[in-house]
Amino acid sequence: MLAKVNSYALNGLEGFGVSVEVDVNAGLPAYEVVGLADTAVKESRERVRAAIKNSLLDYPIKKITVNLAPADSKKEGSIYDLPIAVGILAATEQLPAHSYKPYVIVGELSLDGSLRHIKGLMPILLSAMQNGYTRFIVPESNAKEASYISGIEVYAFSSLTEVTKFLSGESDCKPVPATTFSAQQAENRYNVDFSEVKGQLFARRAMEIAVAGGHNILMIGPPGAGKTLMAKCVPTIMPDMTFEEAVEVTKIHSVAGILDAGKGIVTARPFRTPHHTVTVPALMGGGAKAKPGEVSLAHNGVLFLDEMPEYQRQTLESLRQPLEDGTVTVSRAKQSLDYPAKFMLVASMNPCPCGNFGSKTQQCRCTAAEIRRYVSRLSGPLLDRIDLQVEVDGISYEELRFSPPAESSADIKARVEKARALQRERYKGSGVHTNAQMTNAQMKKFCTLSPDCERILETAFKKLNMTARASTRVLKVARTIADLEGSAEIKVNHITEAVQYRSLDRKYWE
Amino acid sequence: MEYGNGDKALIMLSYETSSAKRRAALENAESPEKLYRDYSHADVAIAEMNKKGIVAITLCSDKYPSSLKQIYDPPCVLYCKGDISLLSEQTERIAVVGTRAVTRYGKDVTREFSAAFAKAGICVVSGLARGVDSQAHRVALEEGGKTIAVLGCGADVIYPPENAQLYADIAEKGLIVSEYPPATPPHAFRFPERNRIISGLSKGVLVTEAGRGSGSMITADLAIEQGRDLYVVPGSIFSQTSRGCNDKIKELQAAAVTCPEDILGSREQRRQNDDLAVQLTLEQARIISLLEDCESAHFSELLAKSGLGVNELTALLSEMEIYGFINKLGGNYYSVAGRL
Repeated sequence: MLAKVNSYALNGLEGFGVSVEVDVNAGLPAYEVVGLADTAVKESRERVRAAIKNSLLDYPIKKITVNLAPADSKKEGSIYDLPIAVGILAATEQLPAHSYKPYVIVGELSLDGSLRHIKGLMPILLSAMQNGYTRFIVPESNAKEASYISGIEVYAFSSLTEVTKFLSGESDCKPVPATTFSAQQAENRYNVDFSEVKGQLFARRAMEIAVAGGHNILMIGPPGAGKTLMAKCVPTIMPDMTFEEAVEVTKIHSVAGILDAGKGIVTARPFRTPHHTVTVPALMGGGAKAKPGEVSLAHNGVLFLDEMPEYQRQTLESLRQPLEDGTVTVSRAKQSLDYPAKFMLVASMNPCPCGNFGSKTQQCRCTAAEIRRYVSRLSGPLLDRIDLQVEVDGISYEELRFSPPAESSADIKARVEKARALQRERYKGSGVHTNAQMTNAQMKKFCTLSPDCERILETAFKKLNMTARASTRVLKVARTIADLEGSAEIKVNHITEAVQYRSLDRKYWE
Repeated sequence: MEYGNGDKALIMLSYETSSAKRRAALENAESPEKLYRDYSHADVAIAEMNKKGIVAITLCSDKYPSSLKQIYDPPCVLYCKGDISLLSEQTERIAVVGTRAVTRYGKDVTREFSAAFAKAGICVVSGLARGVDSQAHRVALEEGGKTIAVLGCGADVIYPPENAQLYADIAEKGLIVSEYPPATPPHAFRFPERNRIISGLSKGVLVTEAGRGSGSMITADLAIEQGRDLYVVPGSIFSQTSRGCNDKIKELQAAAVTCPEDILGSREQRRQNDDLAVQLTLEQARIISLLEDCESAHFSELLAKSGLGVNELTALLSEMEIYGFINKLGGNYYSVAGRL
């Protein structure tokens, strides 16, 4: 007998329907899987056999052939355990014919017949929905993830027995109820807050500007200055994710298998900190299965590169494309995949190899040549994409005492959201959302300067030996500062403030 | 030129030969008028001066150069012959002094700098002595510049005699100044005394060539004492006449200069700062005063002391940096710029 069960396969974040064809026929007992299945699929034989037997069902002592159609594209993972088991049971008439036809079935089996959590359910559901499928059978532990998608019926079960009972009509089961998304649903999504950052008023201000305008930021400061803490606080002052953003993030995290099953959706903006030994495939995405890399996992969130010059040159350079396009293309021998990668880059570095350059209390032991070499590891084109470069101080206890009580993330976020609202209004319909993404044409339109401003900008460049490429950066940042103030025009004090955030353009660095 | 009673009293006081007595009299008197009861001696002296074309600018005159007032022991009267406008605030003055036993090198150096000052419109102050002094005056006049000669004898006394022509030229196009009454003969002790006037009149003092123990080294030391900029031109380490200059460099008491731009440049920068200083806003002035209290201050310190917001302070500091009032150091420290 033959049974055809619907299932689904993922390729990157997009997928296609897979028909799991199970043929059970007389012959020497055997189990054959064809259709470009990987090892995990081939090993399903043992799981399926044990699961069926342990669910007190009959496993046929016959020749079993499983075909995953279309046969020419690769199938990966353990999600075909359940459809294969259902196929075998249907082919041996232990399930009513056609009872399983309306469903797309995915799930991994445990030897005792229970269903295990699978990776990538959300992208499967979204893609399948687009392709016209509406009913799904999924593992119970994936129910939460599925509940956020409306317009489909998802049935969640915790074991093979439950599935068979449902399909044979022995038990009635309601689809998983829909959950409405709320970004605030979990209080304390982030376990840090800007109120914990003491002092650093200059850097705090820079952070606020960076987030308000979607600018990338580089912090330069000695070890122990609190750079990492501040970076971790960045997501806390970013506007809450919309449902669409959350789904985008969840899809990626689901595929990567790092989604919290209890939550089912990502509510907190991601904060990714790849270590400086990270390889290009790990950062960009890749490997044999072309999995999403750190830049994609940081989508809609923050990618934090601690000690930026310590990263390999090649790794850093690979960041240029995602920083520019907001997507990353992972090309492998047989496929080329696009993953979204719109993130805010937050980087930190020491001012010199020993970390004490410019410090009032500590002696820097580096030679000028060493410092130059250290700083030059960051290439011009890369720095070009970092609008704000600020110095973070390693300041003494006495100096710290001056600091007034620190502001909480919530207060900063309120201002950021106001500035973002202005930007959304300004760039409506142009595909640009923040000042950082402004095109040249838009800059001409929205960054017009009064003669006073022109003059001070020119003086600034001459006096402070700033490079020419810094000018667009300064203007964009000035635009954001004006937005934070709610000012329609860029004023002199906006420009002068923006100039302060260009540390690496200064000659004194060299 | 009209002289009041105060002027007359000071003119009479200037005839007192002992400088210590002059100083004591000035310090003890409530006002110059009270020094003498009878001004007849002064009237005689004034008549004599008028005949010789000499004017007396006394301490209580508003023409008395303010830079000279600031020094310890300012002369009570300046006897002047020539263009007294050169003593005004508006004229920038620099002293060019050096050894009397000038070498070829010293002469060339003096020419180089003196000519550059003349062209830049800076008045060259010197002592009309032989050697470097004479060369400095001569070149300044040749280049169409202004020059002031401060004498160690009466303003009508030509010393050294070979400088008669130069004296006449300076009296015509520049200014001859002396604190001694007319007809005072040149005496060795008077020359070191007049050196304080040379440096006192000037913003900076340049020593082009001077040996150890040279009179110019006294001027150099006075310049440091009076808070003037001291510049010296280095010379060969084997040259006796450059040892004084080289010592000053070695002791780090003077800025070694090798071209006029070294001086003109720093002067230019300071003038710019001076110009800008006029435009300082209240907030900027406050920041400057905060920074002046210490070598450098951290952003957070300024923030606490200025009472401004982070964004306001950042913009303000940036503006001040752009205009060159302050420098940004590493680690968010700031300092006042252009301290020379």
